[in-house]
Amino acid sequence: MDFDRDAVLTSFVAETQEGLDLMEQSLLAMESRSGGPELLDDIFRVAHTLKGNATSLELDDLKSFAHAVEDLLDVLREQNAEMTADIISLLLKAVDELRALLSATPAGSPKLTPQQLKVRKQIGNEVAARSQRVMEPNSKAEQPANATPATTAPGIANRTLRTDIDKLDRILNLTGEIVIAQGRLRRMIEKADGELRRDLLELQGETERLFRELQDEVMRVRLVPIGAMLRQNLRTVRDLANSHSKLARVEVTGEDVEVDTTILEHLKDAVLHMIRNAIDHGIEPPPIRKKKGKNPCGLIKISAAHVGGYVVVTLQDDGAGLDRPKILQKAKQLGFYLNANPASDAELYQILFRPGFSTAESVTELSGRGVGLDVVKRNVEALHGSVEIASEVDGGTTVTIRLPLTLAIIDGFSVQAGSNTFVLPQQYVVECTELPSSNGKSGNSGVLNLRGTALPYIRLREVFGQCSASTGRENVVVVKVGDFQAGIAVDHLLGGMQAVIKPLGKVLCGVSGIAGSTILGDGKVGLIIDVPGLLQGMVQSGLQGQIS
Amino acid sequence: MGAVKEATPQSVSHGQYLTFYIAGEEYAVNILKVKEIIEYDTVTAVPNTARWIRGVTNLRGNVVPVIDLAVKFGLPASQTSKFSCIVITEVSYNGDNLTMGVMVDSVDQVLDFLENDIEATPPFGTRVRLEFLLGMGKMGKKFCLILNIDKVLSADEIVAVTDSIQTLPAEAVSPRTKSRKHTAESGT
Repeated sequence: MDFDRDAVLTSFVAETQEGLDLMEQSLLAMESRSGGPELLDDIFRVAHTLKGNATSLELDDLKSFAHAVEDLLDVLREQNAEMTADIISLLLKAVDELRALLSATPAGSPKLTPQQLKVRKQIGNEVAARSQRVMEPNSKAEQPANATPATTAPGIANRTLRTDIDKLDRILNLTGEIVIAQGRLRRMIEKADGELRRDLLELQGETERLFRELQDEVMRVRLVPIGAMLRQNLRTVRDLANSHSKLARVEVTGEDVEVDTTILEHLKDAVLHMIRNAIDHGIEPPPIRKKKGKNPCGLIKISAAHVGGYVVVTLQDDGAGLDRPKILQKAKQLGFYLNANPASDAELYQILFRPGFSTAESVTELSGRGVGLDVVKRNVEALHGSVEIASEVDGGTTVTIRLPLTLAIIDGFSVQAGSNTFVLPQQYVVECTELPSSNGKSGNSGVLNLRGTALPYIRLREVFGQCSASTGRENVVVVKVGDFQAGIAVDHLLGGMQAVIKPLGKVLCGVSGIAGSTILGDGKVGLIIDVPGLLQGMVQSGLQGQIS
Repeated sequence: MGAVKEATPQSVSHGQYLTFYIAGEEYAVNILKVKEIIEYDTVTAVPNTARWIRGVTNLRGNVVPVIDLAVKFGLPASQTSKFSCIVITEVSYNGDNLTMGVMVDSVDQVLDFLENDIEATPPFGTRVRLEFLLGMGKMGKKFCLILNIDKVLSADEIVAVTDSIQTLPAEAVSPRTKSRKHTAESGT
């Protein structure tokens, strides 16, 4: 045979991986009794396809393993047998081994390891034991359990296409370019005069509208339902809970919420981390839960929803909640600065996200909450999102992650400071107000009276070293990061815009206070301000000032 | 062309060179390093960067950093005129290709340098640090300085730039007069 075996193998591996994921999810669904007999059919179909494909690719060991699994499933299906925890564990183990075999496949036809041989034998024994049992009450098993016709198999073959994400990225980039070019064209036509001007403008408006639509479509192509990612965690929960001798189950809602593939990748780690934390430290062991009058089996609710331009993922456990006094004590011990005394819950919990709070020592002292949370926070903020944590003693902990739907375009608020235009991500902007003239015209920072509260502000023009002098009336954009509010004084407010994010490149990517850049309507480069970074820098320098 | 291909960053080779003026002095860069020349248009200053980084500009939808070699060579910042240009160069560093713009006062010509047109750089007397130079090209009675553009824009220097940023917040809290002086210096 002279076909491109590598290409076939690659698609075989990708397909089978998906199949195995489906198999695992179906098994877990069966365990929680949230599905009918069609789940078994799904699993059977995966094993069957896998066997067939492995045969045609001459992967003998993989074939024999898949065959054993298929046998077992066949018996189970014929008997309409109850899926006990043991059987499900065995099948899950088989899925793991199949995955291991699969990952070794591209290197050549993998051989079964002793461990895998053992699992296969176990499966074989199970099949033998069951088929014997069938023999005895022969009468009932003969009748095929309301033979479900294969309605699901052929017709629903999805019309889908696999493609490289890089290609989609390129398309998205190009549409972004077009939008920018369109804006410039419009400006140019507006300036021009002559009789054609109106027609041109009309035509231009039409194409602009079409391009926007195209852009929306392209964005939508990149969106994938979040469900598969959330479901992957079901297995983690099961294994983790077992290894900690705890009981936990997961409830997933909002599976059909769609997010950008890139965001999904980043979200995956964060969610996994939160789940680990919840099981490790949130949910109590069954005896303690019983004592507290709770269901011995802990519940982790994962939900996803669209709110505004954001996807919000919440992870709620019904465990012990955060130990506030201990956190407070630890915070004081580590010398963290707290604004109010006593600190508000929200502020205190933000401390959990600080890097210093994830030391190995604090894991035990603080029942571990906060381990690696700083990493989660950093990852999420790098994507222009935010993390919040709320907790109630014995009521559990809720972690909320908010991420923008896409990375490529943000809603921005553009302002002018000095001769430059800067873009503030809209998510941070609370309101705009005029800077009272009593606040003076210079100085890189100050405090302003905002309806009775003292609001610290920075003067962007001076902080960013724009030399030109003040142009009279200045405005303040009030921004909010977490619970911290501050003002950014600018020369002019230019209004909202959609900013296509352009990386600053390797040379300038580490510049403090700047998150990226975008091309403005007039073709100039506008800088996107890293609001949390900027404020953090100011807070730190303020503290340094106090010390010195 | 065969001869030009042999050009390595470390040795000067004969071939075509683009010459341009910066602060009254004529410089040359191997034409293979040059992607294009664009008119000096708006360059957006990026705060908190080294003073020799003039800013970023929009090159057909890509954001490209622009550097001011005059500042890098210890001279006052370049003034813009109607002859000002940005020479877009491609610099290789650690296997990566970075696209960077070099602001020049004016572009002069493309010259063919033969082997005996190129002199080794004398150990002193040039305005520019020796490590940035590959040699000197004979142009009639004058010489032009042949730049080792990979070195000039090397990423080592850029890392140093990011380091210098760390000090800025501290400066920002220093007395007002001082910080304003700083801004006046770095402004364009």
